[in-house]
Amino acid sequence: MSDANEQITSTIVAVLFILLFFGVLFLVMLVYYNYRRRQTVVEKKEMKAQFDQQLMLARLEMQEQAFTHISEEIHDNVGQLLSLAKIQLSSIGESDPVDHETIAAAKDNVARAIRDLRNLAKSLHTEHIRTLGICQAVEEEGQRLSRAGTLSVSVTSEGSQRNIPEDKQLILFRIIQECLQNCLKHAEATFVNIGFTWYPDQLRVRVRDDGKGFDPEATLQGSSSGLGLQNIRNRARLTGGSGIISSAPGEGTTVTVMMPYD
Amino acid sequence: MSIAWYQYFEIFSLLCALFCLRGLNAYSLWIMIPILVLDNVSEFIGTNYHLFNWKNNYLNYNIYLLLSTPLFLYLFSILLNLRPLQKRNYFIAAFFLEVLVLGNFFFLQGPWEFNTYANLLIQSTYIILSCLALARLTIGKDDEAGILQDPRFCINAMILLFSIVTMILLGSQKYIKLHHIEIHHKVLYFAVMPIANAVLYTGYSCAFFLCRMQMSK
Repeated sequence: MSDANEQITSTIVAVLFILLFFGVLFLVMLVYYNYRRRQTVVEKKEMKAQFDQQLMLARLEMQEQAFTHISEEIHDNVGQLLSLAKIQLSSIGESDPVDHETIAAAKDNVARAIRDLRNLAKSLHTEHIRTLGICQAVEEEGQRLSRAGTLSVSVTSEGSQRNIPEDKQLILFRIIQECLQNCLKHAEATFVNIGFTWYPDQLRVRVRDDGKGFDPEATLQGSSSGLGLQNIRNRARLTGGSGIISSAPGEGTTVTVMMPYD
Repeated sequence: MSIAWYQYFEIFSLLCALFCLRGLNAYSLWIMIPILVLDNVSEFIGTNYHLFNWKNNYLNYNIYLLLSTPLFLYLFSILLNLRPLQKRNYFIAAFFLEVLVLGNFFFLQGPWEFNTYANLLIQSTYIILSCLALARLTIGKDDEAGILQDPRFCINAMILLFSIVTMILLGSQKYIKLHHIEIHHKVLYFAVMPIANAVLYTGYSCAFFLCRMQMSK
């Protein structure tokens, strides 16, 4: 009888412990689930903070580039035209007979300087991009560069255009500007095509030039122009998309940016 | 008149509840006070039943089960954080549960026999409800807060573990008594239940202090 009782006692105690074990296991699983969820929230927060920081850095850097661009434009273009106009006007002596030809040339230079300044202001003003939309703004930028005579820019668009948030439009515009600047400064290109393809869920922008090309891997690892390429990639990432730079010596360069609409 | 050692944990828990009353109110857990008062009174009577010239203390625990069931079911309605329609259905189900406990008390096992059926039914209901409340609390919880800092988690967890022990021991109470099922020369029930009680009321006390701490944060 006592053996039987011992067996029963053991069974009851075993059942009790097993059930308690399952109870505790359930509680531990809940605590672990809660812990993992909190970890995910913290990670998401960190990622968002990192993204915000990157966004801020990119903005600062875009601002810095804009200032450099203004400075270069004023110094190399507007400044030169106005200096030339000044020289032309200075060459006309007070006692000399009126040299209509020189005055007309000086007037022409001043007018060109004013037009260049206006174009520069347009290309920098973000409101311009907002009102026109990305395609139109890029087309105008292309026309501005084409008028300068060193580079021929064509813009094409496939598919029906979609609405893109203003921030993304601005980032995309600056990426294209960076590409065009690279064409002017480094690529020795004569023709650039900017192609917009509007897919159902994302936009593809392809900037292709017929320049001298380069080795992207080597450039990305090295010099300051590598930094510019890295910036293109980083900015594309900021829009939630990606930037691919493909090039080879003598074969031109293609920059492809994929960007989701939202 | 005597007081068992685990009853000090009960008394301490009641005092904690009164001390942290504002915190309990903030979590709508004021119902814990009548539950603890009932626990203390019934445990006191249960330990000193011979003063009332009773043969055993079953009547006391049967009445405790009758009275505590609606209080605990109300507590679960708060812990489950039910929506209005769910609440209505829950209270209908709770009413029928109480009717079953009453039926067992008056007609099936009677007031002088330990109500094992009602106990099994109630303890298994508590296990299910506390599991549901815990799951709901964890899934619906504000992402930043740790669940261990939530007093409702502590209370639910303690009820879950205590109900598992109670369901087994009180469900087989008659068998244990009849066959003198012992562990270390102590009836199994008396060997395990005091420890379970001490753990339960310590858990409650921690939960009450958590209520107070979360309030002052």
